[in-house]
Amino acid sequence: MSAQSKTAVSPTRKRSLKQKIARVRAEGGFAAALMLAPSVFLLLVTSVYPFLWVFRYVAYDYNGMTSYYVGAHNFTRMLQDATFWESVLHTFEYAALKVVFIIPLALIMAVLMSRKIMGSGIFRGIYFMPTIISAAVSSMVFTFIFAAYNGVLNAVLRAAGLISQNINWLGDENVAMWSVIIVAIWGGFGNYMIYFMSGMSSISNDVYESARIDGANGMQIFWKITLPMLSPMLKIILMLAITGAFKDYESIMVLTQGGPNNRTQVMFLYIYQLIFGTNVKNPQIGYGTVLSLMAAVIVGAVTGIYLLLARKLDDVM
Amino acid sequence: MKIQKLLCIFLAAAMAASLAACNDGSSSASSAAGAASAASQADEADEGGDSGDSGEAVTVEVWSNNRHDETYMTSSIDQHNADNPNLQIEYTIMADDWANSIQLAFQANTAPDIISMSASDGMTLSDYVSAGMFESLSSYIEGDETFQTVNEPYEHMYEGLNSIGDDIYWVPTGVRSGTRIEYNIGLMQDAGYDGVPSTLGELVEAAKAVTENGGGTVYGVGFTQNGFGRWLEGIGEMSGYNHMGYDYVNGVFDFSEWKPLLETAAEIYASGSVLPGSENQGVDNNRALFAQGSFAIWGNASQEAGVFTDQFPCDFEWGVAELPTMDGEVKGALPCTPNFAWVMLTSAEDKDACWDVISYFSSEEFLKGYFEGGYSAPLTGYMADKYDASKAGRIADFALQDYEDVYPTIPTITIEGDDYATVMWNVILGNVGADEAIEDLNTRYNNALERGLANGSCTRLVIKDFDKLNPSAGTCEYLTE
Repeated sequence: MSAQSKTAVSPTRKRSLKQKIARVRAEGGFAAALMLAPSVFLLLVTSVYPFLWVFRYVAYDYNGMTSYYVGAHNFTRMLQDATFWESVLHTFEYAALKVVFIIPLALIMAVLMSRKIMGSGIFRGIYFMPTIISAAVSSMVFTFIFAAYNGVLNAVLRAAGLISQNINWLGDENVAMWSVIIVAIWGGFGNYMIYFMSGMSSISNDVYESARIDGANGMQIFWKITLPMLSPMLKIILMLAITGAFKDYESIMVLTQGGPNNRTQVMFLYIYQLIFGTNVKNPQIGYGTVLSLMAAVIVGAVTGIYLLLARKLDDVM
Repeated sequence: MKIQKLLCIFLAAAMAASLAACNDGSSSASSAAGAASAASQADEADEGGDSGDSGEAVTVEVWSNNRHDETYMTSSIDQHNADNPNLQIEYTIMADDWANSIQLAFQANTAPDIISMSASDGMTLSDYVSAGMFESLSSYIEGDETFQTVNEPYEHMYEGLNSIGDDIYWVPTGVRSGTRIEYNIGLMQDAGYDGVPSTLGELVEAAKAVTENGGGTVYGVGFTQNGFGRWLEGIGEMSGYNHMGYDYVNGVFDFSEWKPLLETAAEIYASGSVLPGSENQGVDNNRALFAQGSFAIWGNASQEAGVFTDQFPCDFEWGVAELPTMDGEVKGALPCTPNFAWVMLTSAEDKDACWDVISYFSSEEFLKGYFEGGYSAPLTGYMADKYDASKAGRIADFALQDYEDVYPTIPTITIEGDDYATVMWNVILGNVGADEAIEDLNTRYNNALERGLANGSCTRLVIKDFDKLNPSAGTCEYLTE
C-alpha cells in the first residue's frame, strides 16, 4: 500500500478493542445493555421463540404429543377451507363495523367528558370501567341480557312497545353479528375515549381562546381545531382499534362460540377452537399454526395498508 | 453521576439475577404452593428406598378434574393424611383445559404423580401411551387381590379406552349412566302424557302438546349449545345406528342410517316446541330454566341426579325415563361412561407409593362413601352390593340398563371442517339438508381415515363379530390400511 493511501485512512483509523470498550463504557452502553437484558430476554423467550416455534409444525399433523408429517397438505387444506375464509370475511365485517361505530362514539364522548360539567369525572369512570372488566365475565352477563326467552333486552324492548316478539339475539343469523358488535363497542369505547382525552389535553388552550375571540362556535372549533390537532393521536388510536378488532375473539367465544352456523366465526376464534377448543378431542396444532401465520399476514397487511393511507394524518401538525 | 451509573448497573444485575433465580425455581414449581418440604421429603425417601419401610414420609401429588366431589375428596384425603403420616396425598383440582394442562405439565417436568380419569375426558389412550406418559398398572393389579375383588379390573377392560392388549392403564370404579330424559311430570300430565313416549316421533308430538298448553311461556323441550350429543345421539345409538358414524364390521364411516332421526328431530324446532334461544345458552342456564318449570323435557345422564337435587333444586315432581328409540325397540347399546379412575404417570418417582394411593381411592370403604354421597354410581357388581343405594338420592333412578355398554374407541382421525355432532345439529336447526350433510360427513370422515392410515397416525379398527347390543364383546383387529 502506498504512503498516500495510508495517509488517506488515518483520520478514520481503526480503534483497538480496548478503546472501543472504553468508549462504550464512557457513553453508558454497558449500563444500558444490562438494563435492557431482562426485558430482551423475556421478549425472546415469550414472544420470539413461540413465533419461531410455530414454524416447526406447519408440515405436520400434530396433536400436542405426536406429530405426523403431512407435507404441504396443511397449506392446500387452508386454501380449500371454506370455514376459514368465511371467518376471514366475518373478521373484516366485525372489525369494520366495530371501528366505524366505536371511534366516533369515543371521540364524541371524549369531547363531552372534557368539558367541566358536573359529574363528568364519575361518568368518565363509568365509561372506562368495561375496559378493566374481564371480557369473559362481561360477555357472560351479556348472554343473560341477550337471552331470547327471558333476557333483559327483550323485556325492555317489549315494554317499550318496540317489538312484539322476542328476538333471538345470539341465535338468529341476521342479528348475531350485531349482538357481538354491541358488546365489543360497550367494552372498548371507554378506552379509546381516554386516549382521545389524553390527546385533547395536549392542545393548547390559547388556540381555543383565539378561536373563540374570532367568533368560532362549538362545531367550528371541533371541526377546525380539535379534530385536525388530534390527527396524530387519531392515527395511533385507529391503528390500535383496527389491529385490536382483528384480534378480538374472547367475547365472541363466550357469546356465540362462533355460531349460529358459523355466522360470527372470526379468524382467531377458529384457530383457537382447532387447537384448544373444549370439543376438540384431537387438537390440530399443525393446521392451526398454518392458519395463525396466514392470520398474521392478513393483520400485518391491513396494518401496513392503513399506515400507508394514514401518513397524511401526520402532516397536519 | 458515577454513583448513579453504578446504581443502574447494580439494579440491572439484580433484575437479571432475579430472573435466573426464577428459572432455577421452575423445576420445583409444583412444590411452590406449600409443598416444598414434601417434595424434599419425597426425594429423601427415594434415596432411602421404599417409603413405607424406611419410615420417611412420601408425598404423592394427585390432580383431578372433578369439582363436584371436592367436599368428599378433601375430607377423605385429610383423614388419610392424618392416619398415614408416611404417605401424604397432595390433592389439586384442575378442572379447566384438562388434557392440555396434563400434556404441558408432563413436557415441563411439573406433572403430578397421578391424575383422575373418566371416559368422558376424551384423552385417547393410545396417544398417551405412545408418548410414554401413562404407566401400565397390570403388574400392580396382578399382585393386589383385594383390588381385584372390589374393582373387577379384568371384567372392565375396554380396548382402546382403558387398556391396550393385556396392559391396563386405568380401572374405572364408577359409571355415569347413558343419557336419560328428565321431565316435568306436571307439565307432561297437563298435556295428556303420563310419561315419556317410547318413540322419537311421539316425543315430538308430546313436546308440541306441552308447548301448545304453555301459552307462550312454557315449552316442550330445552336444548343447549350443540345439543345433538346431549340426548338425540343416544336415541340413534339405541335405534341401532352406527356409533359416531363408524361401521365397526367394515372399518369405515357411514352416517347414512342417521337420516330418519335427523328429519324427525328437526320437527321439534320446526314446530316451535323448543325453548327459544336455549341452543345458545350454556348447560347450567338451561338446567336452571328446567328447574323453574320453563320447559318439560331435558336430556342428560346421571349427573343430573345431583343437579336437580342440590344445584338447581326443582320445586315440582320430576321423573327420569329411558330414551325413546325410532320405533320403540332397542337395537343398539347406549354408551355409558366409566369414570372415577386414576392414572399413574410414568414420571412418578415413587410408583409403589402411587399404587398405594390408587388402591386407597379404589378401596371398598372409600368407594362406599363416594357412591352413597351420590357422586357416581358403582360400576362393579361387588360395590353395587356393598353400598346403600337409598343414601345416594336420585342417582338410583339412573341405574344401568342391560343395553348400556362401552363402545370400542374409534380411530382417532383429523377431521377437516365441522365434526359430525355440529353438522347433525345444523341439520336439526334447519341450516343444511340431511342428504347433503350425510354425504359431506361420509366423504370427509373417510378421507380423514385414509389420510391417517397413510401417514401412520391411526389404524383401521375392524370387529368382524361386532354386536350392536354388546359392542365391548367383539374381537378387535387393527389394520394399517
